[in-house]
Amino acid sequence: MVEFLLKRFMQSIVLLVIVSIIGFVVLNLIPGGPIAQYALDSGMTQDDKERIAAQLGLNRPLWVQYLEWAWRLLQGDWGTSFRDGNQVFSVVARHVPATLLLMGSASVIAVSIGTVIGIRGATHRHSVFDYIATVGAMVALSIPTFWFGLVGIYVFSLELGWLPAGNMYTIGDGSVLNHMHHLIMPSVVLALVHIAIWSRFMRAATIDAMGQEFVKTARAKGVSERRVVMKHVVGNALLPMITLAGVQLPSLLTGALVTETVFTWPGMGRLFLDSLSNSDYPVVMGLLMFSALLTIVGNLIADIVVAMVDPRIRLA
Amino acid sequence: MTTLTAAGAPQSAWWRNRVVRRFLGHRLAVVGLVMITLLSLACALGPHLLPYDSLQIDLHARFASPLTGDHYLGTDPLGRDLATRLLMAGRISLLVGFFSMLLATLAGTLVGVVAGYMGGWVNSVLMRTVDGFLSFPTLFLLLALAVALKPSPTMITVIIALTSWMTVARIVATEVASLKEREFVLAGRMLGLSRAHIMFREILPNVMGPIIVAATLTVARAILLEAYISFLGFGIQPPLPSWGNMLNGAQQYLDRSPWLAIIPGLAIAMAVTSFNFIGDGLRDALDVRSELK
Amino acid sequence: MTTDQKILIEDHSRRDALRLMAASAATGIFFTNLLGKPAHAQTRPAAPKGRVVVGVTQEPTVFNPLMPHPEVDDSVAFSVFDALFRIDPKGVMVPNLAAEVPTEANGGISADGLNWRIRLRNNARWHDGTPFTAEDVKFTLELIVNPKFRAWRTTGHALVRDIKVISPTEITWRMEQPFAPYLSYLTETFIVPKHILGAVANPNEAPFNQAPVGTGAFKWGKRVAGDHIELTANTSYHGEGPYIERLVFKYIPDMTVMYTQFRSGDIDVAGQAFITPDNYKEASRLPDRAVTLVPAGSVESIYLNLERPQFRDRAVREALYMAIDRQAIIEALYHGVPRLTETFMPTQSFYYKSDLPKQEFSLARATKLLDQAGWKPGPDGIRVKDGVRLSFNNSTTTGNGLREQAQQFIQQTYASIGVEMKILNHPAAVMWGDFWTKSQYDSAMVGITYLIASDPDVSLRFHSRSIVAKGGRGSNNAQYSNPEVDELLDKGARTFDPNARREIYLRVQELIRKDLPFLPLFSSNIVYGRKARIQGFMPNTNTRSESWHAAGWKWA
Repeated sequence: MVEFLLKRFMQSIVLLVIVSIIGFVVLNLIPGGPIAQYALDSGMTQDDKERIAAQLGLNRPLWVQYLEWAWRLLQGDWGTSFRDGNQVFSVVARHVPATLLLMGSASVIAVSIGTVIGIRGATHRHSVFDYIATVGAMVALSIPTFWFGLVGIYVFSLELGWLPAGNMYTIGDGSVLNHMHHLIMPSVVLALVHIAIWSRFMRAATIDAMGQEFVKTARAKGVSERRVVMKHVVGNALLPMITLAGVQLPSLLTGALVTETVFTWPGMGRLFLDSLSNSDYPVVMGLLMFSALLTIVGNLIADIVVAMVDPRIRLA
Repeated sequence: MTTLTAAGAPQSAWWRNRVVRRFLGHRLAVVGLVMITLLSLACALGPHLLPYDSLQIDLHARFASPLTGDHYLGTDPLGRDLATRLLMAGRISLLVGFFSMLLATLAGTLVGVVAGYMGGWVNSVLMRTVDGFLSFPTLFLLLALAVALKPSPTMITVIIALTSWMTVARIVATEVASLKEREFVLAGRMLGLSRAHIMFREILPNVMGPIIVAATLTVARAILLEAYISFLGFGIQPPLPSWGNMLNGAQQYLDRSPWLAIIPGLAIAMAVTSFNFIGDGLRDALDVRSELK
Repeated sequence: MTTDQKILIEDHSRRDALRLMAASAATGIFFTNLLGKPAHAQTRPAAPKGRVVVGVTQEPTVFNPLMPHPEVDDSVAFSVFDALFRIDPKGVMVPNLAAEVPTEANGGISADGLNWRIRLRNNARWHDGTPFTAEDVKFTLELIVNPKFRAWRTTGHALVRDIKVISPTEITWRMEQPFAPYLSYLTETFIVPKHILGAVANPNEAPFNQAPVGTGAFKWGKRVAGDHIELTANTSYHGEGPYIERLVFKYIPDMTVMYTQFRSGDIDVAGQAFITPDNYKEASRLPDRAVTLVPAGSVESIYLNLERPQFRDRAVREALYMAIDRQAIIEALYHGVPRLTETFMPTQSFYYKSDLPKQEFSLARATKLLDQAGWKPGPDGIRVKDGVRLSFNNSTTTGNGLREQAQQFIQQTYASIGVEMKILNHPAAVMWGDFWTKSQYDSAMVGITYLIASDPDVSLRFHSRSIVAKGGRGSNNAQYSNPEVDELLDKGARTFDPNARREIYLRVQELIRKDLPFLPLFSSNIVYGRKARIQGFMPNTNTRSESWHAAGWKWA
């Protein structure tokens, strides 16, 4: 087991390196650069622009820039933003909480609602509820998140006026209630796809478990259906649920990016788009590494859970 | 698992094939098939039947509402007929989705078969590369690539394929690895067949099932991805319409002309749902185990 | 705002400038009467109160005004810092940290324009209490040209030599060559404290850059990154005001959302990039809001790359210009907000030439012109001459909805006369990179502010030595080259008398209008919006920010 963990850990490091190289290469394929934002400034001469480029170290060969970036990263220095000279780490760190809040609330909503729907669908198979739930899940998986957000804004903000159309809070009102008011729509929109995924998953897991021997035994012994389901089924589904949660992380990040755009939520997704448009490479690399890290950790957790259950690995 | 086909066995009429029968019995899958057929026909033929050109700007007819006047679905901010644009956009979105699926499936299958059969360090290297690509949240990688390369429809297709081949590769690799030890493969080896022959003439046909399912779901995903990046402004560029870029400008007109946002989204939902239904149906039809449910 | 009022603002400034210029012309003294007395009321106001929230769609991130930064950062700089001089809305140069504007008359500038002497005020203080002195000015000017410092613009400053501090309130230097625009440049050069920045080893990464200390009307309060910046009143400010206690710049990344917040009253002033044209009508009808149309300094045009074979022929450029339905674009797409123009000079500038030939939209005449010039339609309908097809790309930044619409509209119009214009847009960082600066584009749709600090010297844009693609050092991306214009521009930079300069630049505009290196679409108007109860708000298109004089704002 320890051996397995170590192996996976090493592989994760290798993965991070590969990710950083791919990211660096792709970013530097992009023509233009951080100096571009001054191109329309009538007061900036070519001399000024080249001087700034040289001062930012942009005219050194690519591999030199990469190695220097990697070396500094290993020492904990994520680099400085081209736009304002702030530490990339602090820039990213400032935007992370907003995204985590969004992802977290969406996860809570997705898991709770999805689980309930899924289990009910499994225990009442082929009923109207089950049918609607299945079709609904399929449709939910097919709707672009941002479209759902746009429709939501139209209905709930513009027509009904119940919910705000964007931002994390209203200026001048930093109360928790206000924050929550602003959080509702974005997190529900982000959760939509995941509700579908969790409901289908829980349905399949419940059906699987219900077919198992020990459940048949419990039923035969006269234990109530509900207790059977709750105790045995959910208990057994716990580990796969963690696996699923780990694997869902990257798609949550992707969804968050688009949701943040529609709702002007000040999170990592917004930062990524801003920095990409302005060729603020250090910040973009920082975000790529951070999201890759999250993804790899998510996959690692999922793999560990699977390994814990798989006897071949456990006994190795 | 799919039915193993030994080379040369007689094939019965396709509509009597068990898989096809099972697929047709799956209600949602049929609905999906019908929907996507209708949609594709509409996109292929519709623009020829409607009186407007999708690129024809008419500044006097901007923001017309649907079902009023001459335009069935209204007009966009430049006065172009929305129905025609929607169907032309469908052509592009569907074609991009289809061809990127093709590319992704080809690449993924190739990598998957080689990795699964060869095993050992070849498998490690290939699978770690797959994992490397998978470690990027898709959209992040897509956007970075879209900015780096020119956003023509061809390029967008390539980029989407670049971010979709990994799932196919994984599925195929797992399947091939499990098939590697089967008798017919050992027989082939004893007969002295080359590795390439075994991989592509013996094993591959038996993995077609999961590949087809993966391919269908890849189309669905590709259409969604194109919508995402075009919505963010990095995908298909105007004046070429795509369902995604039609939604790009829609947010600022939401309070006055909400149909600009609603209609293209419905089209996307319809197309993607169809492919998801079909994929689900195919998976059930090809899965022996599901018979027991 | 009515058309009459609009015209009033522009004529007002031009008339004033003309009147003042005429008075000085006779005596050959430059700028004397363009100088006002320091217009700051000396009555100490009651304690400042209230808070104003300015919404901006780009986040201010650079707070050291000497480092490279986009326009939005100037909003903060104007409040936290002072420059030696200011330009007021009428184009009059006013002293700020200086005690007077240097002229030949008061001996501030020598007759040959080379030796400068500036007298400074003695009552300005830095926010930490330290007195402001000439040492700070010397330090600032030297820091800008320090090769280790990541400075923003160095034009003009690079010509300064032998800076001497005569006394805490007097400083002199020598220019390498006479450079008339320098006075204007100094209005955008904010002075930074020597005792803080001079004390750090690396000014590029000093803590000062995150918590600036200036002499301005507002002190640095705090910054919540990605969200807002708060400034607090400097009660010992040497100039007028401030009357409000807190000034907040709120970052709202989306213009539609910012307008919504302006409408709902969440923000008090709509700052960069202001209100979009399609909201203008509705905004001007909102109760309790003051919405005005103010001329901006920028001109929107189709910018051509003159080295492309299709554009070498002047007849082609004229025909392309004639084939643009500018009126339709302004009325329909931009909701009547901008106005027509024939030149790069802002319409409200003293140097504006009003009698340039007006463009006439005529597809028939454009067709005839092209036919006569030998551009005959080829087999695919696109005109050809000597093997060159009249087909080219037009580029702008992705995500600018109105520009993209204008592009598509023009594309359609051009197609009807056998010209193929293809749209090729890029994200901003790509568009304005080498693609633009090294003239790799065919044509671009762009809004450019040609003047720097309202000085008419446009050498960086139109002089042949400014063509980067040919080894030059400016921003002449159109690769425009006209020896007569070169000569005029050189002369204009050396001439200090405004009337003489005016003659020069009028002729420059005439030549450029004839050559058409760019096809003017319109002169931009900004839709300024603020709550009606805010007084003292003065738009000033001679500066880069709507908040240039936040010190004068107060709540009624």
